Amino acid sequence: MTTEFNTAIVRIQRFNPDQDEKPYLDTFQVPLENDPTLLDALQLIKTTMDGSVTFRKSCRHAICGSCAMNVNGRNLLVCHQPLMKHLNRKGEVTIRPLPYLPIIKDLVVDRSSFWAQYQRVKPWLVPPADVPDKEFRMTPEEVAALHDAETCIMCGACYSACSVIGMTKAYIGPHALLKSFLRVLDPRDTIPAERLADVAQGDGVARCHTIFNCIDACPKGLDPTLAIETLRNLSRKRQAFAAQRNERQKSLAIG
Amino acid sequence: MYKTSGFISFVLRRVSGVALVLYLFMHMWVIGSINQGPEVFDARLNLVQTPLFKVLEVALLAAVVYHGLDGIRLLIINQFRVTDYRKSLFYAVLAVSVLLVIAGGIPIILFMLQGT
Repeated sequence: MTTEFNTAIVRIQRFNPDQDEKPYLDTFQVPLENDPTLLDALQLIKTTMDGSVTFRKSCRHAICGSCAMNVNGRNLLVCHQPLMKHLNRKGEVTIRPLPYLPIIKDLVVDRSSFWAQYQRVKPWLVPPADVPDKEFRMTPEEVAALHDAETCIMCGACYSACSVIGMTKAYIGPHALLKSFLRVLDPRDTIPAERLADVAQGDGVARCHTIFNCIDACPKGLDPTLAIETLRNLSRKRQAFAAQRNERQKSLAIG
Repeated sequence: MYKTSGFISFVLRRVSGVALVLYLFMHMWVIGSINQGPEVFDARLNLVQTPLFKVLEVALLAAVVYHGLDGIRLLIINQFRVTDYRKSLFYAVLAVSVLLVIAGGIPIILFMLQGT
C-alpha cells in the first residue's frame, strides 16, 4: 500500500487501429483524493484529461462484468479495486486490455470468440417436457455440487487469462466449460449426455492443461479448473450419468 | 502473456516433456547401434561419456524429476480436488526437484571429474 503519494501515475495502453501501427503506453497523473477505484481514475482521465481514452464500464458494482482489464499483469474488474492497492513503489499502475483478444480500441477488446464458445455449449437450461405446477426441488447436496458456478458474471477475465486461449481460439474456454458444468450438474437438465459428448471433443476438456490461470483471474473466486476436471470425469461415463439423471427427474417435480 | 506460477509450471512441464522425448531418440540412437557391430556401439558409447554429455545427464535428471513430480502434483490436485493448494504444491515440487537434482547431480559431476 502506497500512501505517501498525492497523485498516482496511471499508464494506459492506447491503440487505435485506424491510426496506430502498434500499441503504446500513455501516462496520466491522477489525484488520490477520496481513495478512487481504478475505474474512477479511468473515468477522471476520460472526462478531464483525454476524452479519447476508450474503455467499457457499466454497473460499477462488480456484477455486470464489463470492466474486466489487465492491471499490472493481472486480469480483474477495475470497478471494485482501489487504485492505491495497485500502485508500485514509484506510485505507478499499468492498465492494459484483456490479453489474447483482438483490440478494438484502447482498453476495449473484441469478445466475439468468447461469446461464440459460450453459445456453443448451449448455456441455457433444457428442462423436462412436463413442467410441475409448483417447482423443481433440488437437494442441498445438489446445490453445493455446483460450487457457486451460477454466480459467474461472464466478465471474460478467466478466458483471456487462459494460456491455451492464447494458443488457439478453438478451445471452448473456462467460462463456457464452467457454464456447461453448471447445466450438466443441474438435476433439471435433460441433455447431460449431449453436453458431455460435446465437451469431450478435441477442443473441449482435453485441451485444458491445468495451468490454473482461470482460478487466479476469476473476480468471483470461482473454480473453472475443478469444473473442467469434473466434466472430464463425467464425460467418460456419460451414458450411466444420463440414466441416473432420468431416474432423478422422476422425483424432482413438486406439486 | 499472462505470467503466473501456473504458467511457469506449464512451461517447465512442456520443456521438460520435449527434452525427454528428444532424449528417448538419443537413447535409441546409442543403444540401437548394437546391431551395427561392437565398433560402432563402442564409439557411440564413448561419445556419451564426454563432459558435455555428463552435464546433459544432469539436465536429463532435472527434466525427469520435475516432469514426474509435477505430474504427481496435478494428479493430487485433480484426485483430491485441492486447487486451493496449487501454488504451495508447485513451490514444493520445485524445492524437492532442486534437492533431488543436487543429490543426483553431484555423483554424476564427480564421476565426470574423475574421468578427466
